[in-house]
Amino acid sequence: MKCDEVQATLPLFLYGELSFEEEERLEVHIDECDACRDALAREKTLFQSFDAAELKPSQDLLAECRASLHQSLMHLEPARSSLWNRLREGFTIHFHFTPAFAQPVGAVAMLFAGFFLARMVPSSFLDFHGMNSAGLVEPSASRVRYVEPVGSGKVQIVVDETRQRVLSGSLEDESIKRMLLTAMKDPSDAGLRVESVDLLKSQPQNAEVREALLSALQHDPNAGVRLKALDGLKQFAGDEETRKTLTQVLLKDDNPGVRTQVIDLLIQHHSDSMVGVLQEVMGKEDNGYIRMRCQKALRDMNASVETY
Amino acid sequence: MAQAAVRMDEPDLIRAAQRGDQRAFEQLVRIYDQNVLRIALNLLRSPEDAHDIYQEAFLRVYKNLHTFRFDCSFHTWLYRIVTNLCLDALRKRRVRREENTVVETSEGTLDRMDTVEEQRADGNPQRQLMSHQLKKRIQETLASLTPRERTVFEMRHYQGLRLRAIGDMLGTSEEAAKNCLFRATQKMRAALGDFV
Repeated sequence: MKCDEVQATLPLFLYGELSFEEEERLEVHIDECDACRDALAREKTLFQSFDAAELKPSQDLLAECRASLHQSLMHLEPARSSLWNRLREGFTIHFHFTPAFAQPVGAVAMLFAGFFLARMVPSSFLDFHGMNSAGLVEPSASRVRYVEPVGSGKVQIVVDETRQRVLSGSLEDESIKRMLLTAMKDPSDAGLRVESVDLLKSQPQNAEVREALLSALQHDPNAGVRLKALDGLKQFAGDEETRKTLTQVLLKDDNPGVRTQVIDLLIQHHSDSMVGVLQEVMGKEDNGYIRMRCQKALRDMNASVETY
Repeated sequence: MAQAAVRMDEPDLIRAAQRGDQRAFEQLVRIYDQNVLRIALNLLRSPEDAHDIYQEAFLRVYKNLHTFRFDCSFHTWLYRIVTNLCLDALRKRRVRREENTVVETSEGTLDRMDTVEEQRADGNPQRQLMSHQLKKRIQETLASLTPRERTVFEMRHYQGLRLRAIGDMLGTSEEAAKNCLFRATQKMRAALGDFV
């Protein structure tokens, strides 16, 4: 490989977009060529300068966009009517002429129908829907519907109860933190969990928050939530407990995006205890990028890429 | 009914939204909308245009969600809509004057980009000046890229998407996306070489 060719390919190398063989040839050349090593260092600096120019939308802009979209949706008919409406329409009989006496008769008939149907429905059906045998909604049925930052470090939370109310306060506020910790475990709403984790990840120094982030990283079924949690744990990539969790995630997570982020974090800190893990990954991983990162880390640690 | 007992993950949300459940649709929006806004803002470098793309993209998704058949991931489908809208906006912008972010108001000069957050340089004035000049040069260089080059660069560098996924989104091959990225980085390097 010639120097010109190597230096032209450096961006693709840094993006991990070269084939295994191309990358191998490039690395061999760089090991032996001072000029190309310097060029690689310059390229890395250039990449970092791109990062500094990235724009992040302000929370105010995001809130404005959401409010406008909400308004627009209010004036739009859904693309398809709901299944319930279609079913209801299908089963509705339209009476154009109803005698006056028929109304009380119909009401009594519906009362009887309701009584007999209620006796036929198993009690487990009611329990599933959070109702006790008396048909009352349990007081704990309230849930957080939305969380969103509203600028100036404040957070706004909407909770569904018998009525809706808005809570606002800073992230340091204990009650706000508790709400967010609850919201990030809500199994019914992945969007809510993503945003709760996104807010809480600015406070990973808090032990409870950190524990919740570790738990989300390991157990949340949504990859978006796991990636957000991972983002919050980045600064603790050298911490032993965090590394232990990262290792488990690397070996078990089924999402290659999550595993890619995890391997990048883990190999930032070389440790001999990683050798076995990386070799295990090499034995089972089918993602080319992750295999390449493992291989490089093992080579840097003077370890073999396989167990014999 | 206590909905908390019912599990609503992404595919469930999509199906509920396809049945016309607006609340499910808004929950779906909130999984992706920060990234959508970030892509639009970085590509168009204008908060107003980013706002418009955000609206247009999610309204298109809302109107066409019933045609989504789960034969690709939802985020690929959504990003395809967003990147195509951004490409169109960039192409339109080529035929009219590139807008300046600085506008005159009754209260004096206002930079519309002040409404976005940026990584701040440290307190060293010389570094701040350097950082400001560098950002300016990067913005100028990004503006000089073709819409496709700019989109591929944005999706690869800032969104971390693989070239294969970017090719799928733009309806082209991985190789074509790679060539675009290659050209974009060559231009960036040529324009910014004296800063590094």
